[in-house]
Amino acid sequence: MLKTRLFQLLAFLVVLSLVLAACAPQATPTPEATQPPVVETQPPGETEAPPEPTPTPEPTPTPRTTRRGGWLDEVVFTVVDRESAIQQIQAGAIDLYSFGLASNKLSDIKNSGLKYVSSYSGYYDILFNPAVFKDENVLNPFSNRKIREAMNWLIDRDYINQEIYGGGSLPKYLPITTQLVDYTNLVDVARKLEAYYAYNPEKAKEVITAEMQALGATLNAEGKWEYKGKPVTLIFIIRNDGDGTRLPLGDYVANQLESIGFTVDRQYKKSSEAAPIWIQSDPKDGLWHLYTAGWLSAGLTRDEKGIFQEMYLPSSPQGLPVFLANQPDPEFQEVGDALAEGKFTTLEERRELFAKALELALQDSLQVWVIDQQQYMPMKETIEVTYDIASGIEAPFMPPYNLRIAGQEGGRVKIGTNDLFTDPWNPIGGSNWVWDGFVQRFTQSYGFMPDPFTGLQWPLRAEKAEVTVQAGLPVQKNLDWVTLNTAETIQVPEDAWVDWDAANQKFITAKEKFPDGLTAKVKSVVYYPADLYKTVKWHDGSQFSIADVLMGIIMSFDPAKPESAIYDESQVPSFESFISAFRGVKIVSTDPLVIETYTDNFFSDAELNVSSWWPYYPYGEASWAAIAIGNLAEAAGELAYSPDKSTQKEVEQTNFVGGPSLEILKKYLEQAISEQIIPYAPTLGEYLTAEEAVARYQNLKAWFEARGHFWVGTGPYYLDSVGLTEKTAVVKHNPDFPDLADRWAAFKEPKLAEATLDGPAQVKIGQEATFELTVTLKNGDPYRTADIKEVKFLIYNDKGETLYVGQGQPGEGEGVFTLTIPADVTATLSAGAGKIEAAVVPIPVARPAFASLEYVVIP
Amino acid sequence: MSTETLSASSLSEKRRVSALGDGTLARVAKYTAVRLVTLFITVVIGVYLTILIANMGGYVDTIMRNEIKYEAAQAVLANPVSRNLPPEVREKLIRERIALEEKRLGLDQPFFIRSLRYLRNALTLNLGYAIFMNSDSGSRQVRLILLERLPATLLLTGTSELILFFSSVFLALSLSRKYGSFWDKLTIALSPTSSAPPWFYGIFFILIFAAVLKVLPFGGIVDVPPPRNPIDYGLSVLKHLILPASSVIVSSFFLSIYNWRTYFLIYSSEDYVEMARAKGLPSRDIERRYILRPTLPTIVTNFALLVISLWTGFTITETVFLWPGLGRTLYQAIGLYDTPVIVGSTIIYAYLLAITVFLLDFIYALIDPRVKIGGESPQ
Repeated sequence: MLKTRLFQLLAFLVVLSLVLAACAPQATPTPEATQPPVVETQPPGETEAPPEPTPTPEPTPTPRTTRRGGWLDEVVFTVVDRESAIQQIQAGAIDLYSFGLASNKLSDIKNSGLKYVSSYSGYYDILFNPAVFKDENVLNPFSNRKIREAMNWLIDRDYINQEIYGGGSLPKYLPITTQLVDYTNLVDVARKLEAYYAYNPEKAKEVITAEMQALGATLNAEGKWEYKGKPVTLIFIIRNDGDGTRLPLGDYVANQLESIGFTVDRQYKKSSEAAPIWIQSDPKDGLWHLYTAGWLSAGLTRDEKGIFQEMYLPSSPQGLPVFLANQPDPEFQEVGDALAEGKFTTLEERRELFAKALELALQDSLQVWVIDQQQYMPMKETIEVTYDIASGIEAPFMPPYNLRIAGQEGGRVKIGTNDLFTDPWNPIGGSNWVWDGFVQRFTQSYGFMPDPFTGLQWPLRAEKAEVTVQAGLPVQKNLDWVTLNTAETIQVPEDAWVDWDAANQKFITAKEKFPDGLTAKVKSVVYYPADLYKTVKWHDGSQFSIADVLMGIIMSFDPAKPESAIYDESQVPSFESFISAFRGVKIVSTDPLVIETYTDNFFSDAELNVSSWWPYYPYGEASWAAIAIGNLAEAAGELAYSPDKSTQKEVEQTNFVGGPSLEILKKYLEQAISEQIIPYAPTLGEYLTAEEAVARYQNLKAWFEARGHFWVGTGPYYLDSVGLTEKTAVVKHNPDFPDLADRWAAFKEPKLAEATLDGPAQVKIGQEATFELTVTLKNGDPYRTADIKEVKFLIYNDKGETLYVGQGQPGEGEGVFTLTIPADVTATLSAGAGKIEAAVVPIPVARPAFASLEYVVIP
Repeated sequence: MSTETLSASSLSEKRRVSALGDGTLARVAKYTAVRLVTLFITVVIGVYLTILIANMGGYVDTIMRNEIKYEAAQAVLANPVSRNLPPEVREKLIRERIALEEKRLGLDQPFFIRSLRYLRNALTLNLGYAIFMNSDSGSRQVRLILLERLPATLLLTGTSELILFFSSVFLALSLSRKYGSFWDKLTIALSPTSSAPPWFYGIFFILIFAAVLKVLPFGGIVDVPPPRNPIDYGLSVLKHLILPASSVIVSSFFLSIYNWRTYFLIYSSEDYVEMARAKGLPSRDIERRYILRPTLPTIVTNFALLVISLWTGFTITETVFLWPGLGRTLYQAIGLYDTPVIVGSTIIYAYLLAITVFLLDFIYALIDPRVKIGGESPQ
């Protein structure tokens, strides 16, 4: 009996221990986790590793190595569950987790003592239904703009950031990305609006109460709003899927609404359940009032001028009913449309429109922005990698070029990510998943390398460029490798190629298609170095050639032409958008390679207006030979590049790295060799002989026999092997890469600025006051004054209202600025508390730094 | 005379046997036909219900249309080049993307028509192409999506379930003879440990053996990078199999033994077993002839159902261990509303189940003399 009871007790204890363990908040930390975090007080967006000084963001510093290609001998990719990513790094199973962890994991990362970097991942907001409902007995308070505007004061974004996002994200007030390019350029306007719309529940209640009463609603004895005798019940669609943070966010907002008298019907739904309600239903049907919306970050975009139209106005290209139902202030409609359509001629005019639009957007508040979420990528202390301040490690082009083990040449790094080989890999319509692209980018090079800190671009394989824009277009030049000119008219040369005759496989010239002449808004000329064809090699050993470039140009047209053997209707929309602005391309010289491009599409930075025509297709780089055999298989109806055509024709989607595609591609490679096929012979035949073509095919065949795939690039690593079921990929060092490994060393880390403000503790009314601002790098070294675009400062009164915006002047010493509050400004201050806030706008990185100081205003 | 009598008798016997044989054959044939038709109808109903449920009776079309609309707009607006286009061009681009995607997914056809096509394809085992998912090798063919995951699934489920089944049956048989012993009581006491699912033990095992002791991998099916030598590759797979298989075994081990042991105990206390014991037969003979034999139909049924259940995999355990099995595939397909994959997986399971149920009827007749195909139930 005793034994039985003992066993029962034992069983009970076992079960109890299991249950208790399961309920534990997090895994038991491993011994490494007990180490103190490296730094605990950094703002988001910064690496925790001690930085090396990087004097200027020039891409060609003095060589410190003789190694060519990537820093590492081998990079291994594997799929890792994000929940165990930190433990796996600690246990040595991986060195880096490149897919972002949500900001609510920040404390775990800090506790683990691992190094990490961060970037933006997306943003969340509360989207309101702006319609007056068909049922006249049901009141929609959010059809009232002032109530929507007042919601800004009802929400404590700092609290949300701390409580839901672990303090690791950025409170968001504005539709533009917080602390990125446009925000930085408009930092004074942004800070002023943020101060005005700071958390103020009393003000929110006051405004909402007044407006609700004006709408005919009344507060009952229990303090609840009623309309026509019924409670005003708000249907709140709260998403409970994704990263899980929208659930507490929605609950918080619901609580705030209940606190001012609303009854809230919280409907927790996942994406697929919510979409039919907020996307499809007629807003006037009143199936919802609010929704916890979320939007993807567009990366390091330098131009967010279309955001007002997209996110507020009935003219939104998104075309969703909720935008169509909004009735914005006519001025907002005009300003938002003008910005989106580029109806401005100078950058100053653009800035004024932007400032007005931001103000009107907050007044409209169809969406009340809440958080610009940050994501975090942990790694071992020894790992060094460039990251993009907007999109992290996986999406940008530069990280593969700079990934290394600190102080070491060679070695192996194991990278964990979220998934691999989610879709087939092919350059025309293959995998668009960021983790697949990350592996691919190790194997690729480009005409230009995007700057991960500013969104501009630097020449990689290209050497220099000239840009000519039509007079009156607001385009500026930032970097020295590009020359910017203006012209009253830009005439497209008669022999420029403007279209493609797919039936005859020949380019159509401007003279043929536009006999009366053709003009363009922008002309760019890209120059490649004289040794391009000697130094650049494909991984299969083939020399880079003009045919690779021409194949890229042809493929911009051919798949979208119904007469083409590889016609794919899914390519038509993107082609139409391309051709709507494209005005022509001309190969001025094949060796050295010089290409002119004419277009009506322009960006406000000259560097972004240059077309490289590098054979980098929408989903990866490829040699003409690889494209040629893919085209043969597609033309024969055995494979299709795009998922759309693959589904429609019920054939395999072309996959250069595995699956049934490989045997088919191999068959057509053999055919290309035996028949000495020159693809698009009427055009490429002028640049390529049959012998050259066969030699390229033979190289590709040898590559396939050795590696088992057709993924061939020109990048610093080559794809050595893939494990499709095992979800692994291995890339290895390419010693034939033309550049030294340290070519991009200056971009190892963003030159984020830190600012400190010093000055008097008291400001006397009517007397000038002077403060000193010191700007440094993170390691404390002075920030070069020449690297600082401007310093602005704002003066706040004791209510947090902005009274004055001033400009800082360079002082004595690098990174030192003097901020002076003129006497006539201090004369307007009232006695009591006051605050000055400085905003530093650096040039090498599109992220401002802030510093503030409080003082006492005395008579 | 006697010869004639004998001959007549023999003839009569032959006729009787022949008649009996004809009768049996007819009875078995009739039974087989009826059984096959019944099972086929059951499969048809089951598969069509799966199609309806997987598509929420057609409501999934609405969900998909909305997601297409949202994603098309986001894709265009996230593209820096598209963002720079005039608004009307962007709008047109979005509209065209939506139309193309709806066409690709077959949303230009009514759901009822598509549901019948799904059913026809399923019944003819024409598994077709998935809507969203790819196989590991990048193919959209449902056949490949399922087949490429099958080896890993069978390795995990086969190893763990077979070890679990045979060890449970034999240990239970042994325990049933030692009722009330220390080991018997220990098994009973530990049987509640099976209240926790395999993935629960999986998380513990990962923490202990991967994170802390660092002797076994966190997950996956093979080392990274995978060894090129087949022997090393095989050994690496076995190393990766240890934790997930152990999780499955440990989570059901004691309860399974307890169940079988209870079942065997019932038969162990039958009169004829007591009689055999009283006659002094060796316990091994008693086990084999008097306990195991009458329980054989149940054991065989359990085993047969276990074998076909290997096809389904372990969804959450596979997810915890990042094991590339069918459980995760099916789970992903359900999340994506990828009907061809869901139906493909279901129809194979349905056919396997129907065939097993059909064969079991015959197997019962072979191993249990009391059972007669198409006859009345044993008295």
